[in-house]
Amino acid sequence: MIEFEALKPQNLKEALAVLKEKGMDIKILAGGTDLLVEINNNSDRLGDFKYLMDISSIKGLDEIENKKEHLIIGALCTHTQISESELIKRNFPILIRSAKTIGSTQIRNRGTIGGNINNGSPAADLITPLIALKGSVILKSKNKKRELPLQDFITGPYKTDRKEDEIMTKIKIPKITSDYQSSFQKVKRRQAVAIARINLAVVTDIKKKRFNDIRVVFSSATPTAIRFLKIEKRLKQAHINELDLESIAEQTGQEMVEITGERWSTPYKKPVVGNLLIRALQEIIREVQ
Amino acid sequence: MQKVKVSLTVNRKKYNLKVDPDERLLDTLRDRLHLFGVKEGCSIGECGACTVILDGKAVNSCMVYTFQIDGSQVLTVEGLEIDGRLDPLQLSFIEHQAVQCGFCTPGMLMSAKALLNKNPNPDKEAIKTAIEGNLCRCTGYQQIIEAIEAATKKDGSE
Repeated sequence: MIEFEALKPQNLKEALAVLKEKGMDIKILAGGTDLLVEINNNSDRLGDFKYLMDISSIKGLDEIENKKEHLIIGALCTHTQISESELIKRNFPILIRSAKTIGSTQIRNRGTIGGNINNGSPAADLITPLIALKGSVILKSKNKKRELPLQDFITGPYKTDRKEDEIMTKIKIPKITSDYQSSFQKVKRRQAVAIARINLAVVTDIKKKRFNDIRVVFSSATPTAIRFLKIEKRLKQAHINELDLESIAEQTGQEMVEITGERWSTPYKKPVVGNLLIRALQEIIREVQ
Repeated sequence: MQKVKVSLTVNRKKYNLKVDPDERLLDTLRDRLHLFGVKEGCSIGECGACTVILDGKAVNSCMVYTFQIDGSQVLTVEGLEIDGRLDPLQLSFIEHQAVQCGFCTPGMLMSAKALLNKNPNPDKEAIKTAIEGNLCRCTGYQQIIEAIEAATKKDGSE
């Protein structure tokens, strides 16, 4: 049994003041769809904490703002809110597709984007597309505010760069032109309430039938969500009707092994990551033809 | 652990409670308010047997600490019946024999109710999505989906 005291700050200012004072003993709770499971299971990942600070009802952190060059998503936006947002649908349909695959209706109604990121699971469904979209995160402490790319914020499996006096307040995504296409692929054991075995997000714009900017992000099959830079380099400027699919798939599998190393699941995942990328590329190419 | 004061409206009745920090909504509903229609299945958000409607949304009550939801409205299966009259969804479940062992039924009903409150005329896909987080280990999904579909049609035509 884990014993803790409850903290329920009324607003962000109060929360940050409390964190400044005793952040090292505080675990932050938002939607609870990951944390309550871990507490219930006495998970080793929890580490020591004395206080559980609930921020789920803090006002102002659950808004989606449309800025000229960015879309800003409040860290407490639930997966349901994201799935139903017209603004997100217009700008980043890939985020809607991935949010809809999370858990179940009940879990999407509670779980938040900030929680999904801060839990830092290698299988977090939103991290993969957010890295492909070059998203960044905004963290606040009592006296400071900083912004860093999501890719740098995630430092390892279940590890992040959050300091103990900080709260993630917003996720910022640079807008992309309507030329951009995207695809989200998820391999899971059953349709609903399933943790991803492999996640893939591809975001690209195609100019004159060639991949121009292309971002390929895998997760679950890697320790953290990560861009596959070698395969990106190979695909950049490649003609969409002249792709050597077999060798692209093969190379993708190799890149996974270079990143992850050989594991018990490698014989399965190596060909599957390659085939998933092919599926994503074909989906995107169908859209533009 | 220091207790936390919480006021909740459950099935239209107000309660002022002092709860432990690690007391889940599920525990409050069953152990304090004796609402045994809320079932504990997996305790990790996979089975949906503990589903209740929290401020209009279906949630797993095993994944919410009661101290988090001060001032909230909660509806459990016991609250579907009003003045001795069953909810149309409950009647439809009976009519379509959508109950086998009954353990998943309260959760299924609350997921379906949350859907119909939001969308009175859902299509089959929307119904399936609404109950995707509810496991029926008797595997009687067909009858459950039919029962929900029929309840929507009734609401629409009457």
